[in-house]
Amino acid sequence: MKVQIPIGPQHPALKEPIGLRMTVEGEVIHDADLRLGYNHRGVEKVAEGRSYIQNLYLTERICGICSHSHSTTFAQGAEILFEIVPPKRGQFLRYLVSELERVHSHLLWLGVAGHEAGFDSFFMYVWRDREIVMDILEMISGNRVHYAINTIGGVRRDIDEAQRTKILDLLAVLRARTSFYLNLGTTEPSFVGRLAGVGYLSKEDAMSLCAVGPTARASNVPRDVRKDDPYGIYDEVPFEVCTADTCDVLGRTVVRIKEVLQSYDIMEYLLRNLPAGPVAVKAPRRPKPGEIVSRYEAPRGENIHYIKSNGTDKPERLKVRAPTLGNYAATIAMLKKGFIADIPLIFAAIDPCICCAERSVELVDSRSGRPSVVRWSELRRMAGRRAARDSKKRNVEWPL
Amino acid sequence: MDRIRGLLGERILEMTNPAVRRIFLTLAPQDLVWALGRLKADMGYWHLSTISGVDLGDAFEFLYHLTDDLPGSLHVRTRTPKAEARIPSICSVIPGAVLYEREVQEMFGVVVENIPDNRRLLLSDDWPDGQHPLRKDWKHVRPEEKIPGGKS
Repeated sequence: MKVQIPIGPQHPALKEPIGLRMTVEGEVIHDADLRLGYNHRGVEKVAEGRSYIQNLYLTERICGICSHSHSTTFAQGAEILFEIVPPKRGQFLRYLVSELERVHSHLLWLGVAGHEAGFDSFFMYVWRDREIVMDILEMISGNRVHYAINTIGGVRRDIDEAQRTKILDLLAVLRARTSFYLNLGTTEPSFVGRLAGVGYLSKEDAMSLCAVGPTARASNVPRDVRKDDPYGIYDEVPFEVCTADTCDVLGRTVVRIKEVLQSYDIMEYLLRNLPAGPVAVKAPRRPKPGEIVSRYEAPRGENIHYIKSNGTDKPERLKVRAPTLGNYAATIAMLKKGFIADIPLIFAAIDPCICCAERSVELVDSRSGRPSVVRWSELRRMAGRRAARDSKKRNVEWPL
Repeated sequence: MDRIRGLLGERILEMTNPAVRRIFLTLAPQDLVWALGRLKADMGYWHLSTISGVDLGDAFEFLYHLTDDLPGSLHVRTRTPKAEARIPSICSVIPGAVLYEREVQEMFGVVVENIPDNRRLLLSDDWPDGQHPLRKDWKHVRPEEKIPGGKS
């Protein structure tokens, strides 16, 4: 007997509510459906009525975790329309913040993955590390969440020599601690066993469903906008695109860990080669008429903004595609043939902005047909019990 | 660019290269599915980033942002008159396009022919029919606030 289970959409702690409807038979998911728009704010419509500099701050508020990525995407596009080039030092600082944001977003995700898999001490250790990144970001920009460091034509704040050495010292601490905790987490067989084989997404599916970011890279699709379409300073910075071929949640974890380590390298390169000079140039009030497509690799995947200018101080059209939307179609494919108990893990694995909260799931008993509401914590306990019964993945090796 | 010109031939209405690694291509709506199929099969443009819609006043313009494994991206542009706005669904070529097609369908009120799933995606269930927020002539009017029991 097939039953439908609604999941979501509302929870006061979520910034991105989503409605999921699963068709299940027993504990196996047969179909999943999606209903978006519970938090649609009409940013694209609002942007048509605001000036470019106002839109910079509007786009920053699209996301709370990757706030810098949207404002950078917009600023990159607007700078081409304004026909200005930000000075080298400004670009270095801008992409330094980008990489710091990637590290803090991936560490956050790693902690959440540990939490969803039932490894809460790992979660707390990783999040303690993440505080160092947040402190660096606060030191550079003055803010922990919305850095507001971008401006059209460069960045708004400079760093001095003392701060530069301080950041380098903190990065060394961070690298040492991350390696230690990663070793701790990744040699723990029950943690690895919980992640392996969950949420399978084949390479063909990842390509046809247009998956982006670490989700696609974990299915061995080597797509990274920083390499494919190098923007800013990425054509001169040495780094590698990280992929995995296991196509599951374990692969997504491996990709993110490798990316954090790559980001440390990029940041050290940027800080050691930081050029002297101004950090911003002054932008004119009005751009030339034209259109531009700006692409950016956010922590979750490709961010794309299409800006059309009509010569006034307000854009004619601003189209924003955030990476999570690109991954929804792939998530539905991942959920199929999975278990109800794996929903938190699979959903958290694409790193949507809705993973860190406790939320309720309504389960319908297939025999009595009575719905019963289960709390997220209970669902995780069920997941733990199922994983304990499942012994075939005990001896999976960590592929790093 | 020459390869695209060789592949699609006469059906290209316009092709420009305004910036580094950016190609803009204009096609008629009826050629879209055929052209994207050729581009995917012969040139490897398999990834659709998104579909952007623009209201030009008396017509709509839709841009399909495509990428392949090589650096750079291709942006296929198509136009349809506002009075009878119709574009074909490209889900037969790129299955991941369905969410973006549902989005433009409700935001611009364009009919996407042969779309596999034409339910609402973003607008609420009680949204009135025929209201399409991203059209330029659509203005948001805040409904008058009703205080139960009247103002005191």
